[in-house]
Amino acid sequence: MLLKIAWRNIWRQRRRSIIVMISVAVGIVATLLTETVSMGMMIQMLENQIGSHVAHLQVHRKGFEANQVVQNYLPDRAKVEQLLRETPEVEHYSERVISFGLISSASSSSGVTIVGIDPQREEKVTTIERSLVAGQYLSSRRNGVVVGKRLAEKLGVRIGDKIVAMATALDGHVGSDVFRIVGLYQSFSSEFDKVYVYIPLTEAQEMLALDADVSEVAVILLNRDRLNQVQEALERGLGSSYEVLTYPEILPLLVLQLDLFQESMLVFYAIIGIALIFGIINTMLMSVFERMTEFGVLKAIGMRNGRLVAMILLEALLLGAIGAAGGFAVGYILYLPLSHSGINLSMFSASLNSFGVGAIIYPVLTVEGVLNALLIIPLIAVLGAIYPALKAARFRPVAAIRYV
Amino acid sequence: MNDEEIQRDEAPGLNKRSLELLLKMGWRNIWRNKRRTIITMLAVTFALTLSIGMRGIQLGTYEVNIKYVVELFTGHLQIQRQGYQENPTLQKSFVITDSLRRFIERDPKIVASAPRLLGDGLISFKENSLGALIIGISPNRELAFSKIMTKIHSGRFFRADTAHEIVVGAQLLDNLKARIGDQVVVLAQGLDGTLGNYKYRIVGTIKTGSPDFDSGSIFMGLLTAQELLAAGNRVSMVALMLKDLQEIPSVQSSLKEGLVGTELSVLAWNEVLPDLEQSIQLDNVSGMLMLGILIVVVAFGIANTVLMSVTERFREFGVVLSIGMPRQYLVMLVLFETLFIVLIGIVLGNMLGAGINYYIMTHPIVFGGQYEQVYAEYGFLPRIESTLRLGMLFNSTIATFIISLIATLYPLMKVHRLKPLKGIRYT
Amino acid sequence: MTAETIMPTEIIRTESLEKIYSENGVPVRALRGIDLVVNKGDFLVIAGPSGSGKTTLLNLIGALDSPTGGAVYFEGENLSRKSEAELSAMRLHKLGFVFQAFNLIPVLTACENIEFTMVLRGVPERQRKQRVLDLMRDLRIDELADKRPLEMSGGQQQRVAVARAIITNPSVVLADEPTANLDSTTGASLLDLMERMNREKNITFIFSSHDQQVIQRGRRLILLRDGKIDRTEEGSR
Repeated sequence: MLLKIAWRNIWRQRRRSIIVMISVAVGIVATLLTETVSMGMMIQMLENQIGSHVAHLQVHRKGFEANQVVQNYLPDRAKVEQLLRETPEVEHYSERVISFGLISSASSSSGVTIVGIDPQREEKVTTIERSLVAGQYLSSRRNGVVVGKRLAEKLGVRIGDKIVAMATALDGHVGSDVFRIVGLYQSFSSEFDKVYVYIPLTEAQEMLALDADVSEVAVILLNRDRLNQVQEALERGLGSSYEVLTYPEILPLLVLQLDLFQESMLVFYAIIGIALIFGIINTMLMSVFERMTEFGVLKAIGMRNGRLVAMILLEALLLGAIGAAGGFAVGYILYLPLSHSGINLSMFSASLNSFGVGAIIYPVLTVEGVLNALLIIPLIAVLGAIYPALKAARFRPVAAIRYV
Repeated sequence: MNDEEIQRDEAPGLNKRSLELLLKMGWRNIWRNKRRTIITMLAVTFALTLSIGMRGIQLGTYEVNIKYVVELFTGHLQIQRQGYQENPTLQKSFVITDSLRRFIERDPKIVASAPRLLGDGLISFKENSLGALIIGISPNRELAFSKIMTKIHSGRFFRADTAHEIVVGAQLLDNLKARIGDQVVVLAQGLDGTLGNYKYRIVGTIKTGSPDFDSGSIFMGLLTAQELLAAGNRVSMVALMLKDLQEIPSVQSSLKEGLVGTELSVLAWNEVLPDLEQSIQLDNVSGMLMLGILIVVVAFGIANTVLMSVTERFREFGVVLSIGMPRQYLVMLVLFETLFIVLIGIVLGNMLGAGINYYIMTHPIVFGGQYEQVYAEYGFLPRIESTLRLGMLFNSTIATFIISLIATLYPLMKVHRLKPLKGIRYT
Repeated sequence: MTAETIMPTEIIRTESLEKIYSENGVPVRALRGIDLVVNKGDFLVIAGPSGSGKTTLLNLIGALDSPTGGAVYFEGENLSRKSEAELSAMRLHKLGFVFQAFNLIPVLTACENIEFTMVLRGVPERQRKQRVLDLMRDLRIDELADKRPLEMSGGQQQRVAVARAIITNPSVVLADEPTANLDSTTGASLLDLMERMNREKNITFIFSSHDQQVIQRGRRLILLRDGKIDRTEEGSR
């Protein structure tokens, strides 16, 4: 069988074959690590956003996403709650009142997004409770506020201090209320920390003259794969005065980034592939020329050109495949512990935090990552062997035998 | 001519003639297998061209981005109160004393300066209110200083420091559902802790491409801002513009000396915008990593090529060692051969790489569409630029050179260990 | 003129020379105690069937290999006491080699091949060129001056090889089957050349060969069988 012959052939020149395989492996390991780290970073960015605020789905009055004003509260809160309770895929949901506002301490003030939450429900939908670094979480008790640690530093306040929150209420007047800082949180995003403050839902409704209405409902599903189906179901159930948005629609840039990344990885592989191909062409040329006599004999006894070419291509494929498999194995072994403990990139922490990612990146291996690693390079190896294979096929048997 | 004469004339050890011989042989040897040599050279050329091209693009793009940000608003240096950078509050504002002003004016390297006052505020129009950053500028000073005022999108900038006219980010205007000419209310907490709110008229919008400005900034006159924020005659910072980035270290250190004893410090743009600097660093490091991988992969190819060319000549090497060539010479011969190949590849790579950079330098690539958005999100301009710096060519060349040499160590070792008889009998 | 007996000067001496090497794990005793003396000016042939050890003996004498027992003395010095570098220098200055094939460096011309060892020894160009041209004329290979080995016939290559071996008037020239790849006429002519060099310049020649032509020309003959000297013959010419 051609495969067996090709296999034995590559081991006739052990050192040379091994060097090629190692070069392929090195390329694969490096690329794999780069890809998994970058992927991890982007996925973390997305997940941090989902986990800290966006959730899987958000339900609003139509037009709220574009214009997040108090006036755009949910037309019928009860109807939405009812529908969500009836939808089996919904695991948790949390209702929020959202408004831009100003937070002032004795010494300074800052523009913020005020989020009125039901603490128990919100806890199940986002990571806000787990992100607390000081103090306590909101209870439904009056007048507590949870702010980001960075914001507290900016305002010069600590746990127990009072701040004033101000926002434009439904009727147009500027509502304000005094709150006491009960807890400080810290998320992976410095931008997030500076902007989002949490007060009890009822307080927010009161301050903004909203009665019992809410601005949005954030939903977490049991199974994220059902995202689009649930969106459709909710849209049908709620009708045209509502909008039901999935997280890709709320965070288009992050999702876009993931797509673009896949493209750029292909370019990366292509470049490494070209770098490898020179070595493969040379190796295969050498390997072919030193066996010209042998090929002459083979052809003289009847082996067709096609099979000869196939054999040589197969040899290159094996070199590429074994190198890729070896590289993948090594890369995987390196990747596993890193995916658990993460890579500490704290020297870039300011920048990473501004992207919404912590300083510890957990590499992520995707199916595409595996496929790319194992398929692209062996294919490139075969490409590289085409020229040498053709050279082998073109020689006439007698000329080949005399070729010394 | 007899043997005594020869012996008198001979020069033991490595001499010019032996060196010439080795170079001659080495050069002729690499062309014994033209195809293999050319392919190897191309590999080196490829790696180097890509290195230089990529580095040029990376560094050029960073430069353009930094220059843009610096010239747009940040300035090369900023004089701030100590602690303001970590915690930008009104408390950390300061008065520009006469001595400070003179100090700044006296330094010839400082081309322009601009005072600003910053504070957080709430801007409301009808039922909409949004948080934004209030930026108080002095229009004449700012005009001579930065490009921010050229980013007018519609309408115009306010002319005086005092008028109750403001310019907002274009996105902010949309979010507010307001139009040019509308009157809005801006609410802010003053230095004394009281809340000030005043009416202002929106006379223009700016569009910079940066979300921070476009959806979160309100520009007003310095005196207007000082009134709103009850800040008297204080400012949050004085931004300084120099001739170019290279001047920063010297000016920064001389300013630092002058500011000893005051509570002021002087920060460079990268200390003011650590995010930007680190993003650049992150990109920089990942770029260098990738190129390193590339060069290593090509180096394996070189190692294999040299190894092949050496093993197929073992018989010849055996003969040459037998007749008395010192084995070091043989090692040098193979080294020279590799050097020739690598050097030619490097020269070609440099030419091509420099060519690519030059082309992009004169024809920068501008993005639109999806890429533009992603870039803007990270605070980068959506364009690819390049630069041609000798240091870059040098670094890439040295890296390629060294790694290629390391790649040949194994084959050279094999040559060094070759026993003449083993060579002769090699099959 | 008084005929003085010129005492033979010993150049090479071997004492109980033994060589064992392993082939596929099996030890092979190539030489089992060779005692041999070679004098300056000898034209010596080491002959024997294949496997008798003649090439091994030649290699040991030429400092290309080291014995497993016994010693080789070159100009009175024990070769085993010398370092690799010293042996290499010795080969450069005092020995010449002619192999069965592939003697010449493919990328160098005949001229450049011949002057090779002189270049290594640092002889300046002027002297080299003159000497090479003279020798090439003497050996009647001057028309090959700028030709590369690929452009020469087997016999021509061997002549150039001989020229290279003797250009610096070495003490000894070792020739391992120099005529094996040549037809008998060319081989004879090569041997003529070497005999002439031996006579005119008093260069010692030691051959290892099973070619009858070579054996007949040798003034001394050493016959090896199974690693031992079977018999010696002196003065066949």
